[in-house]
Order: sequence, then C-alpha cells, then structure tokens
Amino acid sequence: MDNNVLAYTIYIASTLYLIYWVGRMCHRNGRIFILKLYHGDTEATDTINNILLLAYYLFNTGYALLRLKNWEKVLSTAQLVASLGHHLGLLTLILALTHYFNIALIYFLSKRHHRFTS
Amino acid sequence: MHTDRIDYMVIAYLCYLPIALGLTWYVARSLFRNSIVFMKDIFNGREEIALATNTLFRIGFYLLNIGFALYILKIGEQLTSAQGAIETLSFKVGGFSIYLGIMLFLNLYLFFRGKRVAKQKRLEYEMNARYNNPGPQQ
Repeated sequence: MDNNVLAYTIYIASTLYLIYWVGRMCHRNGRIFILKLYHGDTEATDTINNILLLAYYLFNTGYALLRLKNWEKVLSTAQLVASLGHHLGLLTLILALTHYFNIALIYFLSKRHHRFTS
Repeated sequence: MHTDRIDYMVIAYLCYLPIALGLTWYVARSLFRNSIVFMKDIFNGREEIALATNTLFRIGFYLLNIGFALYILKIGEQLTSAQGAIETLSFKVGGFSIYLGIMLFLNLYLFFRGKRVAKQKRLEYEMNARYNNPGPQQ
C-alpha cells in the first residue's frame, strides 16, 4: 500500500475516535453546567446539550478532513510517523485550546451569575 | 547504509512515543487524583459539579500535553548511529518532561487560586448575611 494512503487511514481513524471521545466526555460532564445556567430546566438543557454536541462533531470532523488536502508526499516509514505525529498533534492542540477556552467561558458566565461556587 | 539510517529514526520514534504518552498519563493520574480535594473545597462540597470540573480539567490536560508531545515528535537531523539516536532521544524526552513539570505547576496554581477566590467569596457572603439581618441570636 502507498505510504500516503496508509497515513490517511491511520489519521482518519485516530482523529475520528479522538473527536468522538472528547465530545462524549464533554457532553457528559458539561451537562451539569448548562443545567445550572438554565435553573434546573432538564428539557431545555438536554436539547441544547445535544445540539452543541452535533455542532461540535460537524465542525471538528470537517476541519480534520479539510487538512488532508495539503499532506506532504510520504517517502519512508520515519517520515510517515513524523508527519502523522505533526498532523495529529496540531489537531489535538487545537482541541485543547478550544476546550480551555470553553472552561474559561463557563467560568466567566458563572462569575456573572454567581451560580456555581457560592 | 540507507536502511540503517531509516532504522534508527523509526526506533527513536517508537521509543519516544510510549515514553511521552506514559509520562503524560502518569502525571495526569497523580495530579487529578489529588486535585479532587481542591475541587470539593471550591464547589462547597457539592460532589457532582466538583467531579465534572475535575474531569473537564483532566481532558484538557491530556489534550494539551499529548498534542504537544506529538507536535514536537519530528526529528530534524538524520540519525546514523546509536549514539546520535540516544542523544537526540534524551534531549527530546528531557525537554518534554520539563514542559510537563511547568504544566503541572500551572494547573496547581489554578487550583490554589480557585480555592482562595472561593474562600474569599464565602467570607463576603457570610459578612453580608450577618450585616443585613443580624438575627435573634446576637
């Protein structure tokens, strides 16, 4: 098999799994914060939470697939590992940044409403 | 000669990946097993929200550090000998481990800061309550 095709297969499988895992964990653990912001309205919370998860999946898988277009030509096994690491690492770093941004957003919202800590 | 060079590169990558990922996993496990105490203190003993926040921070820690570990994976120079491979590998692992230490202290700083702010807020709240309605017990 062509080295590039192998790289694409590994890349797509691991990014899809990573995005799925992070989305599921945030969906599960973020619910309680939305619940607090909606004063315990369970129905509205679940609706918003599911729509947010769907939007997150669409944006992130879309971005991950967009980056396939300008992949370098992979000539050797060492280069395969290096380019895979580079692409996966960048995607993971972007996910981390958005995740911390969301935590900060929750923090500032909660500061305005004084709902989580006091 | 050609196959030898490729061999060293792949071996170096295969050594670096488990070391970096294992180190991240170990640090995250020991940090977030202990941070649950801070979280409970910050959220006033409310178990559910403390656990959720702890998990969210753990996900962030994993994403940030594993992402960084993969991002710096690429070895620029050509490795032609075992000596060169070991030198490059230990440079990378050492740098990554110092970076992990800095991240650990950053997280700890966040937790201590959260604890201080929560304590201050609680004191203010109590003061206000006492000032606004002194109650019959005074």
